[in-house]
Amino acid sequence: MVKDPRAPHGDLRMQSLGEIASLVTLEPWSLSRSHHAEWHTTGLSDDDILQGIVLSSYFGHLNRIADAVAVPLDYTVELMPPATDPTEPPLLPSPIAVTGRPALELSRRPATAQAIAAWRTYMFERDAPLTRRQRTVLARWVSMFLGDGGISTPADLTVNPIDSALRDLAEIVTLAPWKLSDESFAPLRKHGLDDAALFDAVAVASSAGFFSRITVALASLGRDRA
Amino acid sequence: MGLPYFGYAESTGELRALYDKMRERPMPPVYKPTHGGAPGIIQAHSLDPQLIPKVFTTSATLNGVGPLTWPERELVNTVTSRLNQCLY
Repeated sequence: MVKDPRAPHGDLRMQSLGEIASLVTLEPWSLSRSHHAEWHTTGLSDDDILQGIVLSSYFGHLNRIADAVAVPLDYTVELMPPATDPTEPPLLPSPIAVTGRPALELSRRPATAQAIAAWRTYMFERDAPLTRRQRTVLARWVSMFLGDGGISTPADLTVNPIDSALRDLAEIVTLAPWKLSDESFAPLRKHGLDDAALFDAVAVASSAGFFSRITVALASLGRDRA
Repeated sequence: MGLPYFGYAESTGELRALYDKMRERPMPPVYKPTHGGAPGIIQAHSLDPQLIPKVFTTSATLNGVGPLTWPERELVNTVTSRLNQCLY
């Protein structure tokens, strides 16, 4: 299943969870009402589906931070994952902007909703190392790449070379995190950002991706197939 | 390659206190790192120590409880990592 989450497998419930992780990771805007109904028929409840969507979104954040600092795997695993292929093409940006109410409310998991709210506040409501405006630039580009139509478009906020470099970093973090390297950070370093500021930029983009991925997936789940 | 991060030996002050706190969290033995310090994914956030409790409080609400079972949660995490081409 890890090799090909979309291929048929014996356990329908596990297969559905693999499909949830796959769609949330690759194209959260493509979830639909029919997926929601299909997953019910394989034994998943709404609470199972919600946890699968949020958990996959969360793990996507961990993946991006791990890539940014190239931290090695430090616990024992029975099956080593294949080596990363840096030539793998980026994920596709969303062709649509998804709006509308979520089919499942995050408030069904109150502790998770509260923790995410505190995380979001920390990420966006401070002025160092990045300014609030720079945080907003990053978040708007990320939300556009993921099809989060509830957030304003980023073009009018991207007006100087630092904004453009932030946009480029947001794109790599969101659509090709496995390509993160010293080269990815060089343009912002040239503008004076140090390690702490660069990590802040990655963390803002990655966190924004976590938040937008959940928003887009839960709203898409209530729509007809795109 | 990439941005730096700080292991337990290099940590001081707030970061050291956080590492100690995170090490004391209940954790299945299989997740315990072989080096005995805080797990690498926590260390990966060390350039912003204040972010660590935000991220891992969220983790506790998702990875430590159901309704999905532990193997089901592992499946979701593994598929996500594989598609993101990440070793973690």
